[in-house]
Amino acid sequence: MSEPLLRTEGLTRHFRVGKLLSPKTLHAVDDVNLTIERGEIVALVGESGSGKSTIARLLARVYKPTRGDIYFEGAPLSRMRGRKQRLAYSSDVPMVFQDPYASTNPAYRITHGIQRALHLHRRDVKRKARAAETERVLDAVGLVPARAAARKFPYELSGGQRQRVGFAQALAFRPKLIIADEPVSMLDVSIRIGILNLMSELREREGVSFLYITHDVASARYIADRVLVMYAGHVVEEGPTEAVLQRPKHPYTQLLLSAVPDPRAELGVADKTDVGEPPKVVDPGEGCRFRARCPYAVARCETETPHLRLLGERHRAACHVAAADADLPVEPPLAALTDS
Amino acid sequence: MLLFFVILATFPGEIAPYNPQATDFLPGLGPSRAHWFGTTAYGQDVLSQVIWATRQSLLIAFAVGGLATVLAVLVGVSAAYLGGVADGTLSLLTDVLLVIPIFPLIIVIAAYEKNSGLGMLVIVLGALGWSYGARQLRSQTLSLRTRDFLESARVRGERKLYVIVCEILPTMTSLIVATFLGAALYAVLAAAGLQFIGLGDPNSQSWGTMLYWAENNEALGAGMVLWAIIPGICVAALGAAFALLNYAFDEISNPALRLRRLDRPIEGARGDAVPAVPPAPDRILEVRGLTVAYATDGDPVIAVDNVDFDVGRGEFLAIVGESGCGKSTLLYAITRLLGPPFAGEIMSGHILFQGNDLVSLDERRLRHLRWREFSVVMQSAMNALNPVLSIEAQMRDACKAHSNMSDKEIAARSREVLRLVSIDPIHLHSHPHQLSGGMRQRAMIAMALLFTPDLIIMDEPTSALDVVAQRSLMVQIKELQQRLGFAVVFVTHDMSLVGHFSDRVLVMYAAQVAELGKTRQVFAQPRHPYTRALMEAFPSIHGPNARLTGIPGSPPDLARPPAGCRFAPRCPQAMARCHEGVPPLHDVEGDLVRCVLFDEGAVTEPTLVQVS
Repeated sequence: MSEPLLRTEGLTRHFRVGKLLSPKTLHAVDDVNLTIERGEIVALVGESGSGKSTIARLLARVYKPTRGDIYFEGAPLSRMRGRKQRLAYSSDVPMVFQDPYASTNPAYRITHGIQRALHLHRRDVKRKARAAETERVLDAVGLVPARAAARKFPYELSGGQRQRVGFAQALAFRPKLIIADEPVSMLDVSIRIGILNLMSELREREGVSFLYITHDVASARYIADRVLVMYAGHVVEEGPTEAVLQRPKHPYTQLLLSAVPDPRAELGVADKTDVGEPPKVVDPGEGCRFRARCPYAVARCETETPHLRLLGERHRAACHVAAADADLPVEPPLAALTDS
Repeated sequence: MLLFFVILATFPGEIAPYNPQATDFLPGLGPSRAHWFGTTAYGQDVLSQVIWATRQSLLIAFAVGGLATVLAVLVGVSAAYLGGVADGTLSLLTDVLLVIPIFPLIIVIAAYEKNSGLGMLVIVLGALGWSYGARQLRSQTLSLRTRDFLESARVRGERKLYVIVCEILPTMTSLIVATFLGAALYAVLAAAGLQFIGLGDPNSQSWGTMLYWAENNEALGAGMVLWAIIPGICVAALGAAFALLNYAFDEISNPALRLRRLDRPIEGARGDAVPAVPPAPDRILEVRGLTVAYATDGDPVIAVDNVDFDVGRGEFLAIVGESGCGKSTLLYAITRLLGPPFAGEIMSGHILFQGNDLVSLDERRLRHLRWREFSVVMQSAMNALNPVLSIEAQMRDACKAHSNMSDKEIAARSREVLRLVSIDPIHLHSHPHQLSGGMRQRAMIAMALLFTPDLIIMDEPTSALDVVAQRSLMVQIKELQQRLGFAVVFVTHDMSLVGHFSDRVLVMYAAQVAELGKTRQVFAQPRHPYTRALMEAFPSIHGPNARLTGIPGSPPDLARPPAGCRFAPRCPQAMARCHEGVPPLHDVEGDLVRCVLFDEGAVTEPTLVQVS
């Protein structure tokens, strides 16, 4: 198999927390192996605190990994030297942020970020050509007419339009992979779909890969080719989107799916539901991190951390109980989840 | 005012009638046509001296202001942005300078460097005057530091210096100007003070020096009153000019400080008698013809336009719509929480709750109803809860404010309501930041339940939560509602959320009711094109993965709503008739729909709205 666009090997990030005399370690991300192919949209799904934003920031080089490494086009990031190489990487892998109201500098026109990106990363674009290139990327994200849009300040735009500016900035790098950290979760439901469609279109037209980070499984299904489900710093399940969503193997994935509001499903379901919370993983011992909330937990889950096992075609889950042939019930008995 | 001084300082030669140093006149003259402010004990013209002295005072003000601002920016911003050791050291320096009594220190230094002139004075004042501004800038930068646009700049690969100079500084212009003006003000006062006590060059021309000489010659007693008073007034006026300029700048850069009121009187709404219809016993809330407007620079913006609806006892009503369609304003109006900073006003209409018209109720009786009879759960629990008080203390405050329960009863009740929302009472002693987002919202709901109200109004209580926490909170709300029998008005932009939980749903668009009906019926057969569009706006995890389009465009600007049907510009089914006038609400099998598609049907005004 040829080298994927981006691959991580045992990616781990710990943070020191606690007092000076009793230092503790928060395990934000533990031993994550993920791959993103060229032109692929991969969704990273999980609750807040599951470590998905930490992964985004590791890939964007805001944080350095505690252990493990990231390979971009086969080359390890840890061996990157000099400002030139670092700039080259950040132009290949830009990031789009969650809060469209905070991610553009209010003191500048919306084109500021695009102009700076061209200035820093695309020296070949001459000063005169920059205006044309700026209009091209604004046009590509649907901010039309681009010439008028380019003159606006952030406060003149709605949340959805600002998020498009975020994608325009990312496009200005001529990127190979865009990391989108919850790009729609702060937007109105009615305009989310426009941003999701935009991501699909950019993949088609510009051949960009996406790492789409979200807690909304339904939107992940809408655009992603593959899904990774994270819980408490671990990837607990991964596989082709439809396989994971239609035949979830990990009890946590099942819980996540059952929580998605879906008015097209039968009305009047008011089942009991889980009141647990994703744990803060401080100095964890061995064992499955979901066991306290898990209705199927067995003795082995207390003592041994499950690793991803192949359970279907390209479909893996980290669960001792899940089996390849005998699927867990698709609708989990939610009542069993309550006493945690 | 500042301009006046600047002109004086720029052209003293042209304006001043005489050479300020010339001792050509009789000493100690009173005011006269030739010498407006009289002359000094040395026979100099006071007016000319004052004018020439302006130059130096302003020079000191601007030089010190500039120097202090540069230092403050440099220290404050880099401390906050770089963090770590740099922050520690620089903050320590700032704090030390802040606690040192500056003025005596300046006197000591100035006395030591007595004859070194103006430049030294500026450097000393500047070097000691930046600490206050630096602290403000540091805290402002700290709050900016985690903002996404700075992270975006870092991810882009910008250098630190660029981020500080070109990304942080422009966003803080108003604070930097304030720092500059503050430092300039301080410089004028300090310089005048120093020169007055004889420090600095006694032969220089400045207001302080004039005061010094006037004092030495006992001007006040010797009939040369104006010699002493005029420079004093000048110092005060220049100081006031800087202070006023500071306020003006603040107001320009922060429009929220300008509070507007509607000058149009409220048309008979308040003070009107409650309409002579007996309150229906099965309804807990009746909203009739409610209209709310916001004052703006132009015409008032109608954010809620003639809205009618009821809530039955124990009913769960969902109010759905996009941002900017008036649903939050409606909610604030019902709870009478409009007013600064929500500068809206109820223009007309009635809100009948338990036999009271909330629109005309006075503040005292309103307080009595609020929380006891109806309570509110806000969108962001982190903002609604007081971060420095424990949950217990906040519950106690609420109980004390609205009842005369004993401490023991309060403690018991607090425990009880926390258990109701599945929070371990051990968290009574927790502070809001120690709870997760879901727990904070539960705590908010627990507080709303303290007095078992009949109605709870919720403004997107789940929008900051993850799907799992959101689902579990919704189930919890529904369960409590069924157990305790209170009614719920639930505002959200996410139609999919309420499908399983609400009894009826009210779809709002551009300040008006677009559709109102039983949830089952609306979800099974959405009649208004807007409702249908909302329903098709989100992907599903079941069924085929169809491509969706969302709703093109955005809700109209309520300052200029389109004539006719307000949804027509975005409507896939719009026709010429849609633009001819606002369509009435049609009753279609018990479902109210504001759409011309139902014109041919039973075109009757729905019974619901006929009250007054």
